[in-house]
Amino acid sequence: MKINTWFGTLETDIVGEILESRLLSKDIRKLALHSLSLRESRSNLPPEGFDLKAAAIKSGFAESPAEYYFLLHEVTLEAAKLQVSSAITPDQRIIQAVEALDDVNETTNALSERLSEWYGGYFPESGLGGEDLALFIVKYGSRENVSSEDPLYSKARNSMGAKLEPADEALIKDFAESVLSLYERRRQIEVYIENSMEQVAPNLKHIAGPMLGARLISLAGSLKKLAEFPSSTIQVIGASKALFKHLRARAPSPKHGIIYSHPLVNTAPWWLRGKVARAVASKLSLAARIDFYSGEKDPSLIEKLEAKVLQIRTLNPRPPQKKQESGAKLKKRRRK
Amino acid sequence: MPEVKKLSDGIFEVIKDKKHLATKNLDPGKAVYGEKLIPVQETEYRTWDPRRSKLGAMVLKKFNISLKENSKVLYLGAASGTTVSHVSDIVSEGAVYAVEFAPRSMRDLIRLASRRKNIHPILADAGKPDSYSHLVEPVDLIFQDVAQPNQAEIAARNAIRFLKRDGYLLLSIKARSIDTAANPKEVFKAEVKKLEQAFEPGFEILNAKDLKPYHEDHLGVLAKLR
Repeated sequence: MKINTWFGTLETDIVGEILESRLLSKDIRKLALHSLSLRESRSNLPPEGFDLKAAAIKSGFAESPAEYYFLLHEVTLEAAKLQVSSAITPDQRIIQAVEALDDVNETTNALSERLSEWYGGYFPESGLGGEDLALFIVKYGSRENVSSEDPLYSKARNSMGAKLEPADEALIKDFAESVLSLYERRRQIEVYIENSMEQVAPNLKHIAGPMLGARLISLAGSLKKLAEFPSSTIQVIGASKALFKHLRARAPSPKHGIIYSHPLVNTAPWWLRGKVARAVASKLSLAARIDFYSGEKDPSLIEKLEAKVLQIRTLNPRPPQKKQESGAKLKKRRRK
Repeated sequence: MPEVKKLSDGIFEVIKDKKHLATKNLDPGKAVYGEKLIPVQETEYRTWDPRRSKLGAMVLKKFNISLKENSKVLYLGAASGTTVSHVSDIVSEGAVYAVEFAPRSMRDLIRLASRRKNIHPILADAGKPDSYSHLVEPVDLIFQDVAQPNQAEIAARNAIRFLKRDGYLLLSIKARSIDTAANPKEVFKAEVKKLEQAFEPGFEILNAKDLKPYHEDHLGVLAKLR
């Protein structure tokens, strides 16, 4: 009987005595690669309860248990390292970028608010916010420096804001610069996601748009997982709280998760949201599968989706009438 | 001077301000996940938080862990290695085969294993023991904490392949990962039944206890092959 082990191949008789052995050299890297190559092997597995350590010593691969464990340790460590380093696939990079974007957004908003609160004491009439305010502060600092060509010139002149001391001005200006760079980072990440999505999941990007597509991959965990989800799951990704409330108690089922941000879904009238969400989810699921398994772009997908949504809209032009009768029945039942 | 009481081989109760579950640090001077290090004379103890470790909770729930210094352990669902590090402390002269499926967790586990020579990390799916049968010898204990809906099946497959005839299975069953909606008690009952009957030769259940108050909706199970 032939047995594959991490240190070589053994030939044993019926009672398990080793007749012959082809041992590998004690090269950690080679042993690790050999070990990884055996992962998918379905034949020549060691039988149940086979003592690898005893066999390694008997066959002369290791001189002692201590040496066996030393080599095993090095080999498993090396193999695991190889696996981990190959685990950062393109879709994992997109996931990191999406998560980084969320963090950047949160930070940008918090710091932007701080900036407008801070500068508001010195020039409350500016009416600027967000990136515009940060740009303004970086450009002028104190409102006294606003040039006469600037539309805010007269407002700055007549402002009720306090005078900005040089030390404060320097501080706020630098702070505003940091905020600006965050806005820049945001755009940079968005461009990165858009480009990566075109390469990794062109169909998904086409149907969902780059951001929603990337978010779907991120919430699913990988493109593979997204491709394996049924479309009903894709429909409610991001609505797990509502879904579990529905499963546990008598809450209504969620109609949509993050696919709500899809323009076809959020522009649908309320009585069509569920139907449209279902149609969109089914095409998203198809797109993810094409992207993962074939990778070819299929432009007909979006046309089919649009046709389907149009059909849903024409078939249900008006909101459904509330059925008086069934409503009355329900109330009666509840009273019991 | 902190007072030390031995609970079982390699597992201690150290009293410093309050009672701590602890193991002897195999890698002195180094904390793995922010746990306290308590030196007592020549030995350094590492505190073991039962709220962060199901195995730790099982120890306090009086499960008979029966690990010796040279025991061999197959640890399924090793995650980042917080509990694995304590097992590694306990079986200082033995071996821990630490199986974990997520590359992200494996990153931390590798860092741990590179400092502790008795941990052998394996990045694999615990549901497919064939994929690591070329690495793992027969073991004295299988500890499983995988939070998968088919935990019982995973335990059975691994036990048949790797568990010694007189070895034990320690299992943490998370009710929510089997059925989010059902009553945990019903889930536990069904899972225990699966362990006993769903495969040949089946497990004999030696102990089964809720891990409250350390973990919500978790059942600890100690079993051996019939």
